[in-house]
Order: sequence, then structure tokens, then C-alpha cells
Amino acid sequence: MNSNLNSDTDYLWDKTGEPDPEIQQLEEILGTLRYQPRPLEIPSGLQVGKRSFFRGFRNHAAPLAIAATLAMLLLGLGLWLGLQRLQQSPQPLVKSPEAPQVRPVSSPEEKQNTATAVSSPEPKQKQIDSPRNRGNFPQVARNSRRDRNTVIKDQQLSLKQQQEAQAAKDQLMLALRVTSAKLSLAQKKAQNTNVPDLIHNQHKIG
Amino acid sequence: MKSLSRTPLKSAKLAALAVFLMLGATATAMAQNPRIQTSQLDGLAAKASETVDVNIDESLMALTTKFLSSKDDDERKVKELVSGLKGIYVKSFEFENEGQYTDADLESIRSQLRNPGWSRIINARSKKDGSIEVYLMHTGTQVSGLAVLATELKEITVINIVGPVDLEKLTQLEGEFGIPELGLQGTAPKRKN
Repeated sequence: MNSNLNSDTDYLWDKTGEPDPEIQQLEEILGTLRYQPRPLEIPSGLQVGKRSFFRGFRNHAAPLAIAATLAMLLLGLGLWLGLQRLQQSPQPLVKSPEAPQVRPVSSPEEKQNTATAVSSPEPKQKQIDSPRNRGNFPQVARNSRRDRNTVIKDQQLSLKQQQEAQAAKDQLMLALRVTSAKLSLAQKKAQNTNVPDLIHNQHKIG
Repeated sequence: MKSLSRTPLKSAKLAALAVFLMLGATATAMAQNPRIQTSQLDGLAAKASETVDVNIDESLMALTTKFLSSKDDDERKVKELVSGLKGIYVKSFEFENEGQYTDADLESIRSQLRNPGWSRIINARSKKDGSIEVYLMHTGTQVSGLAVLATELKEITVINIVGPVDLEKLTQLEGEFGIPELGLQGTAPKRKN
């Protein structure tokens, strides 16, 4: 019995000894599930790079950091310039050092004088620079008409500017009055305050 | 291998340092801005019985300065005073009743004036008449901004002058436009005989 058992056991462990039919049957049944080596088949629809984002990020950390820095610098610069532009005003409307003095024009001669005095230099320069226009009377007439239009526009512009300037001047005076009133009040209150109070009102150093 | 792995880390650290330095510089520059934002007070206009809102920026100031006459003494003095300024902004609200505004309304202004660039030169407070605070901003030795925050029971006034406020010239206007002699630092004290 023992030898039989031993021989069965041997067959079970290392296939030596007498074969056991039951074990052989089990081997046949389970043999179909035995490991069979075969090449790895990757499905064509599988996206390989999807999960390797962070690995790629890690590999390109330095260029990404530099790019982020540059982007931040540009953003900061943009913000800074924007703030500066907000603080600074746009170009002043009047380019001439002295504001044009507009006075009522009565006679035609005066009108002509005013036209030559106030008209912008650009059309004149165009007349001089283009030799084709010399002696061409219709062109000169057209240019003079343009000059007159420019003069009227300039006069209207200066009137508008004058109105704006007058309004701004009134605002400025109002602002100065309010400022002066409040400063005067502050001065009076500060003078009326006792010396210990004045010391108390100072900022602490450090 | 070690050096290769450290290089990106060093670059990232340098980049972060550069960003922090840039942000710090921007924050410092913004803190030194003499322009105060007062738009938070605009909501009080609905409650106010009288409102003064003056906004003169640099371009408008330049335009106004050109139209100020140099022949008239008063206008000439005003012209001299405001010629270097970059803006004058005044907001004043007068109310019918007390308690129309709270300290929270003024906190946004005060928080801006707590920035290191500003220094308070006058702080006069009284329960009856309210309070007046006068602030100056210095850039180097020059005054680059003035701010006045005046509160009464029924009135709030915020004044902000941007630019080199010449206190000496301001003092010279005393009596002509109601501008008083302040006797502040930077102003040559006048001898009274």
C-alpha cells in the first residue's frame, strides 16, 4: 500500500513511477489550459501616449519652466504697461505749443489771412512736393477749397477744444477751491490741536 | 546622471526666483503709485444730495494749462502750480442725513493710503467736526502725490493730486483761491515780523 502510494505520489510530483489513470485524465482535461507562448498583440485602437503625459512633462520640465517664466514675464510686462498707460494720459489733443487764438472773421481779406495762418501745413507741403500740380489751375482751386475746408474744420476743432478747455478750467478751479478749503480746515484743526496730541498723531518709527 | 537630473530643477528654481522678483518689483512699483482709486465711492452718489466729481487727467491738464492766460496774475499762478501735475481728482459727497456712509466705505481709500509710499502729515479728528487726514507721497526728495481724506457727519471728501505738488507754490496761492499756508516739510517757512 505504501509502495503504491509512494509510486502514485512520485508520478504526481515528478511523473516517475506508475502512472495513475485519474491523474492522467486530469492532466488531459487541464492540459488545454496550459500556458502557450505567443507574441504580444497590441490593439491598434489603443493610444499609447495618453498615460505618459506626466512622464513627458517630467522629461521637459526645464523648457516648460523657462516657457512659463517667459509667459509670466510677458504677462507682468503687459500688466505693467497697461497700468502705466492707464496712469499716463493719451497724447494731448493740441500739438502746437500755443493754443490757436480764434477770433471772429469779418472781411474776406481777413478770411484769406486767417486761412493761411491757421490752415494745416500738410496740404501746402503736398502742393510744393508735387511738381505736376504746378500751373495746374483746377488742381490749385481744388487745393484751395480743401484748404478752406481744413480751416473751417480747424476752427471748429479749436472751438470744441476751447469749450473742453473752458469746462476743464472750471473743473480745475472747482478742484482747487475744494482742495484749498479742506487744506485750510486741516491747517486750522492741526493748529488747534495740543502739542501732546500732535506727537500722538505722528507715525511710529520702525 | 545626477547633474543631468539636477539641471532642470535648478532651472525651475531660477525661473521661480525670477518670477517672484518680477512680481515683487511690480508690487513695489504699484505700491508707490500716487494715484488713488476712488471708484468704490461712486455708489454713494445715489444717496448724496450734492456731489462733486472732478477728474482731470494729464491730457486734460495739459489742455487746460494751455488755455490759462499768462497775462492774468491769478491764472498765471494757477498755471505755474498745475503745470507739472499729472492729475487732480476730487470726489465729494454731501448728504441730507447722518449715517449715510460707513467706515467700510472709507476703508478702501485708507488701505491704499497705508501703502509704504504714503506718509500722513496731518491727522485731525474730532467727534463734532469729523476728521481730516492729509497724506504726502515722496519720490526721493520730491513730493509726488497729495491725498486728503476729509469726513464729516454728512460729508465725505477725497482729494488726490498726482505729480510734483509744489507746496511752496501752493502756499503762494494763499488768499487768492483760498489755498492756505500749510507750513509743511519742504516748504520754506515764512518769517513773521
